[in-house]
Amino acid sequence: MNHIFLQILTGLQISALYMLIALGLTLIFGTLGVVNFAHGALFMLGAYFAVEISSQFGFGVAIIAVPILLFIIGIIMERGLIRFFYERPHTDQILVTFGLAIVLGEVMKTIYGANNLPFDIPKWGSGIVRLHEYLPFLEGFVAYPKWRLILIVVSFSTVISLFTLLQFTKFGLIVRAGMRDSQMLAFLGVNITRRFTIVFGIGSVIAAIAGLFGGPITQVEPEVGMHMLIPSFLVVVIGGMGSLPGAVLASLILGMSISFTAEYAALQQIIIYLIAVIILLVRPRGLMGKKGLME
Amino acid sequence: MNKSTSIFSKYPIPIFSLVVLSFPFWFEYIGGYPGLDTKILIWALMALGFDILLGFTGYLSFGHAIFFGVSAYATGLMLKHFSPEIIPAMFIAVIVGTIMAFAVGYLTMKRSGIYFSILTLAFGEMLNSAALSTLQDITGGDNGLTIPDVKPVLFGIRMDGLSMYFLAAAILILGYYLARRIATSPFGLILKAIKSNQERLEYTGIDVQKYKLGGFVISAIYASIAGSLMVIYEPYVATEYLHWSTSGELVIMSVMGGVGTLVGPMIGAAFMLYFENVLSVPLGEEWLLVLGIIFMAIVIFLPGGFMEGLARIKKRYFNKSNKEEK
Repeated sequence: MNHIFLQILTGLQISALYMLIALGLTLIFGTLGVVNFAHGALFMLGAYFAVEISSQFGFGVAIIAVPILLFIIGIIMERGLIRFFYERPHTDQILVTFGLAIVLGEVMKTIYGANNLPFDIPKWGSGIVRLHEYLPFLEGFVAYPKWRLILIVVSFSTVISLFTLLQFTKFGLIVRAGMRDSQMLAFLGVNITRRFTIVFGIGSVIAAIAGLFGGPITQVEPEVGMHMLIPSFLVVVIGGMGSLPGAVLASLILGMSISFTAEYAALQQIIIYLIAVIILLVRPRGLMGKKGLME
Repeated sequence: MNKSTSIFSKYPIPIFSLVVLSFPFWFEYIGGYPGLDTKILIWALMALGFDILLGFTGYLSFGHAIFFGVSAYATGLMLKHFSPEIIPAMFIAVIVGTIMAFAVGYLTMKRSGIYFSILTLAFGEMLNSAALSTLQDITGGDNGLTIPDVKPVLFGIRMDGLSMYFLAAAILILGYYLARRIATSPFGLILKAIKSNQERLEYTGIDVQKYKLGGFVISAIYASIAGSLMVIYEPYVATEYLHWSTSGELVIMSVMGGVGTLVGPMIGAAFMLYFENVLSVPLGEEWLLVLGIIFMAIVIFLPGGFMEGLARIKKRYFNKSNKEEK
C-alpha cells in the first residue's frame, strides 16, 4: 500500500512538471499553429530568473516577478519574431524557434556558465511532510519532500486556472473560437491577433511557473530547456496536438509509467518513447486530438 | 546566369572533384589543420544525404543522429571485435543503419511535417538514452565506445592522414554523383513533387508513402556511411554521435548552406566545421552564440541559405552591369 501510494505520488510529481511545459506548448500550437522549439528555453529562462531574483529579493518576490518578466518576454518574442512566421512553412517556424532556443541557451551560458546553478528552496518549502500523520491508510512512517508536494499542487492549480480562463471567461470564449476558425473571427471584427499575442504570453507565464517550481527539482543549467522539451513534446503529441485535456492525460500517463518502472532502470529510460510509439500507431492523431487537425 | 555558375552547371562532377581532391593542399593556408579536412568531408556527406530528404521532400528530420550514431557504434564494435579491416565494418554498419531507417521511417513518415520532426527527435532521444543506460554494456555508456589499439586498414593500407582523406573524398564524390542522378531521375522528381503538393500527387494514384520512405532511407544511408567513416577516421565512438545535438548541427549546416541545392549543405558543413574549429579560437566560448545568431538571421532573412545569398549577389551584380550597358 505504502509502496504503491509513493509511486503514484512520484508519478504525479513527474507529470506535474511535464504537464506545465506541455500545456504552454499545446496552447500556443492550438491557437497560433506554431511549434515552439524555444518553449524549453522559456522554462530555462524562468528557472534562471527564479534563482537570480530569489537570491536577491527572496522567493516571494520571484513568484510575482518571474511570471511577469516571462509574460513580457513572451509578448516580445511573438511580436518581434514569431508573427513574421505565421505565413511561412511549419519547417521555417521550427527552424527559427530552434535557433532561438540555441541563442537563449548560449546567452545564459555566457552569463552564468555551463554548470548547474544551486537553487535554494525557500524555508517554508524545504523539509519533508510526514504523510502517515494525515492519511490513516498508510502504515508506519511515510514521508515525502514538501517541495515536490507543492509542485504537484501548483501544477494542478495552474491547470485548473487555465481551464477556467478558457471555459468561463469572454476572453477564453474568443480564444477558443479563434482556435476553431480565426479567419471567421477576424471577419466578425474581433481583434484576434491581440488575443493570440496574449495567449503566447500566457504560455510563457506557465513556462515561468514551471521554472520557478520545477527548477529546484530539475537543474538550472543551459541544457535543461532542451532536456525538458523533448518529453514535453511527446506529451503534446500523445495527447493530441493542441488539446489541453489531452496534454493533461498524456502527462499523467507518462509520469506514472516512469514512476512505476523505477525498479527496472533499463526499461525506465525508454518507457515513455515506447508508449508514444504504441499510442501513435494505434491512434495517430493522439489520444484527444481533433479530427482533421494536423493529420 | 553568371559565367561561373554556368561552368559549374556544365561540368559539375569534374569541378566538384577538383575542389574536393585539392582541398587538403590549400586548406592550411586559410587556417585549417590536418584532419579537419577529413571531418568536413564526412559531415558534408551526411549533409548531402540530408538534402535528399529535407531539400527534396521538405521533411525536416531531427533524428538523423540515429543513423550516424548507430552505424558509428556498429563500425566501432566491428573494428573492436571482428577485424580492423574496414570493408566488413562499413558493410555491417550500413546494413544496420538501413534497417534502422526502414523502422524509423515506417513509423514516422506517415505523419505530416511537424509530427515528423517531433517524432524523429523523440526516436533519437530514445536510442540515445538506450545507448547510455540500457545497452551500456555494449556501447560503453557515458564514456563512449573506446577502441584501443585498433588501426583501421583497407586492403592492408593503413587508413590515416591523406589515405583516409582520399577514401572519404572518393565516397563523397561518388555520393554527389549519385545524388545528382537521383535529383533528375523520376524518383527524385516525385520526391520534389511531395514537397510542392503531396495531396495532388496522391490523387494521381502514386503510392506517396513508398517514395517518402525511399527518400528517407536513402538519406539515412548517407548518414550511416558518414557515421562509419567518422569512426574509421577516429577509432572512438563519442556519445554525442547519437545525441540530438548531432541532428541539430546537421539541420543548422544544411539550412545555412541552402536546402535543396545539394552543394549548399556541403558548403554549410564546411562553414560550420570551419567556424567551430578555426573561427572559434578568436571568438572563444561564445562561438556557438554567434553561430546561433547567424543561423537565425539566415532563417529570417535568407531562407535559401548561402546559395540564395550567392544567387542574389550575382543577380544584383549582373543587373547592374546590364544597366550600365544600356
